[in-house]
Amino acid sequence: MRSMTGWPKVATTAVAVTAVGALLAGCGGSRPSDGGGSSDPGITDSTIKVGAHFPLTGVAAPGYSEIPTGAKAYFDYVNANGGVDGRKIDYTYRDDGYNPTNTSSVTNELVLKDNIFAMVGGLGTPTHSAVVDFLNQQKVPDLFVSSGALAWGDDPDEHPYTFGWQPDYEIEGKIIGQWVKENMPDAKVGLFLQDDDLGRDSEKGVRQYLDDQIVATARYTSGNTDVAPQVSSLASKGADLVLSFNTPSYTALTQLTAQKLNFTPQWFYSNIGSDPALVGSLLSRFSEGAVKGTNSALDGVLTTEYIPGVDAADNPWVKLWQKVWDENGGDGELTNYRIYGMSEAYAFVQALKDAGPDPTREGLVKAMEEDMADSDGPQLAPFRYSEDSHFGISGMQIVRLKGGKSEPVTKVLTTDVGDADIDEDDSGQADDAPPSSGIPDKS
Amino acid sequence: MQQLLSTTLTGLTLGMVYAAFALALVLIWRSTRIVNFAQAPMAMVTTLVALQVIDAGAPYWVGFLVALVSGLVLGAVVERVLVRPVEGKAEINAVILTLGLFIVLHAVAGLVFGNDYQSFPAPFGLSGFRVGDLNVALTGFGIFTIVIVLVVMAALAALFRFTDLGLRMRAAAFNPEVSRLLGVPVGRMLTIGWALAAVVGSLAGLLIAGGSLVYPSYMDSVVVFGFVAAVLGGLDSPVGAVVGGLLLGLALSYVSGYLGAQLVTLASLVILMLVLTLRPGGLFSSASARRV
Repeated sequence: MRSMTGWPKVATTAVAVTAVGALLAGCGGSRPSDGGGSSDPGITDSTIKVGAHFPLTGVAAPGYSEIPTGAKAYFDYVNANGGVDGRKIDYTYRDDGYNPTNTSSVTNELVLKDNIFAMVGGLGTPTHSAVVDFLNQQKVPDLFVSSGALAWGDDPDEHPYTFGWQPDYEIEGKIIGQWVKENMPDAKVGLFLQDDDLGRDSEKGVRQYLDDQIVATARYTSGNTDVAPQVSSLASKGADLVLSFNTPSYTALTQLTAQKLNFTPQWFYSNIGSDPALVGSLLSRFSEGAVKGTNSALDGVLTTEYIPGVDAADNPWVKLWQKVWDENGGDGELTNYRIYGMSEAYAFVQALKDAGPDPTREGLVKAMEEDMADSDGPQLAPFRYSEDSHFGISGMQIVRLKGGKSEPVTKVLTTDVGDADIDEDDSGQADDAPPSSGIPDKS
Repeated sequence: MQQLLSTTLTGLTLGMVYAAFALALVLIWRSTRIVNFAQAPMAMVTTLVALQVIDAGAPYWVGFLVALVSGLVLGAVVERVLVRPVEGKAEINAVILTLGLFIVLHAVAGLVFGNDYQSFPAPFGLSGFRVGDLNVALTGFGIFTIVIVLVVMAALAALFRFTDLGLRMRAAAFNPEVSRLLGVPVGRMLTIGWALAAVVGSLAGLLIAGGSLVYPSYMDSVVVFGFVAAVLGGLDSPVGAVVGGLLLGLALSYVSGYLGAQLVTLASLVILMLVLTLRPGGLFSSASARRV
């Protein structure tokens, strides 16, 4: 009898001990750094670990899944040339399928299990929103979020470790809005918006200039591939210029739907949805040459550009990316998405160098705020990083697509959120070239 | 006016696709009394097979045929190898099995065909017609969709109502023990039911894919809408499935066009709940006495 009552007690104790042990182990893994020197996770004398989440599968995967392959190629190139201050960059990226729940779990893995020093280029507004608080609580530098939402840069007090990268959707909306107002004052403008931060932030910018000219607004939900009701509402309200803020698959879908509806406005796709090679490949198989093949699928479409793309083969930055891809890339061609990833990786190496020979997480954030604004890089307009703003690139130029190439319509225009003026960029940022080594020097 | 017309016509085409999918669910329900959740990924696999064939240089219709034939084979194989061991057991076993198959087929398709979006060709034009100033948002492929779904519906109704095979299939599903005693080869009937359902499912896959983008989960939303359409029509009646699909397609198109795209899935849930509350057996139910 004694042994029968005794056994559960032993078992309970064993379970309790195990549980406490697991709890302690959990705490050990997640202990935030105190910012003190080399004790930061993810960095040793010979390596530095960085990570990111990307949609490698699912609705957002076309194009975006290529970004980390570009970043990886550039990090491999840097490693092959001695690394950064003797440290090799160990880059891990995980698939979140553009699903915020998955983003949380893969970010937990990256931070708690892989012990990354910093997150570099985590992609997506809904996805990254799910982990931005966690990263800041853990004091993990969260650099160059691959999304133009305002949330990454507008409140450095709330999210001191998070930094944006591309021009935010609001300034893109502003630049597009002002250009349309000045150059197409009679256009009846329709807005085609993704129903989340992308659509909302862009609309805010556009409406600063075009409120009177907008005749119709249609919002689509990402994941619902039937956009006929939306496009048809734009058509029926007589829009002859459609400003579209959507992901690449939806550029293909709107083109197909417009054809079905015989709707032929001037299309103006924002930067993220306008890659001619990707959209062209999505539309390539359609019958009877009704939709023109590959690169010319988006001929005549207006869009914006903030880093040079594959079509500018003579640009010194693109030459560097081509060399990096040839030497360290994987399968496939160099694409604009891979260039995007390389550009982020280049900026990270720059920030790491600026943080000094023994970088800490605090030091990296400080270097971002103090030294990055006037650094050289492929971006056409300077970064806006400072203590008060964590917004990324400050501007872009409007271009027209023809045969897969972009023809400039304006000079590089820069501005900031709110009612900041829009000016032509005079910093010369668009004219710089990479150092011959292809690896940034300390600024 | 123009918007009403466009929204109606696109809803009509979409509804026909849901109808095709609902027909496959009805077929398998009538011939085996199982709801097959793996119907969508099975159709996805056969569509991607067709895309491989077309990419290899074959004409569209060869790919079309290959998809239907591989659907036939896949359906039969799934029944013989996977479903047979759980037949005659609790109904939930088969349902869980098809859910598992759903996940497995997704993963396998990702490995074999990749997860990229790809365009899928269509045999007819993708531009709408114009009548005077009015644009008729109906493409050649849309008309093809409507016609072929109606033909399949008629064929299925005829199969169940007028042929010996249909009678045997229904009997085998309804009461395997008695059917066996009466000399119906129950096993073979079940295999035929699965195979035919998979063919209709593959057809739905091809109709959705034509002139649009395909990727391993492209059929997923259709599972939900096709299921709602089938329940709407009563799960038992081919005509009901088509009417259910049409009603659903139109309703969702109006919701998306006039209320907002974000309400589409919610609206389908509301419709499902209304039908289950008001007419639990579906709009065209004839077999309430059969329910277990």
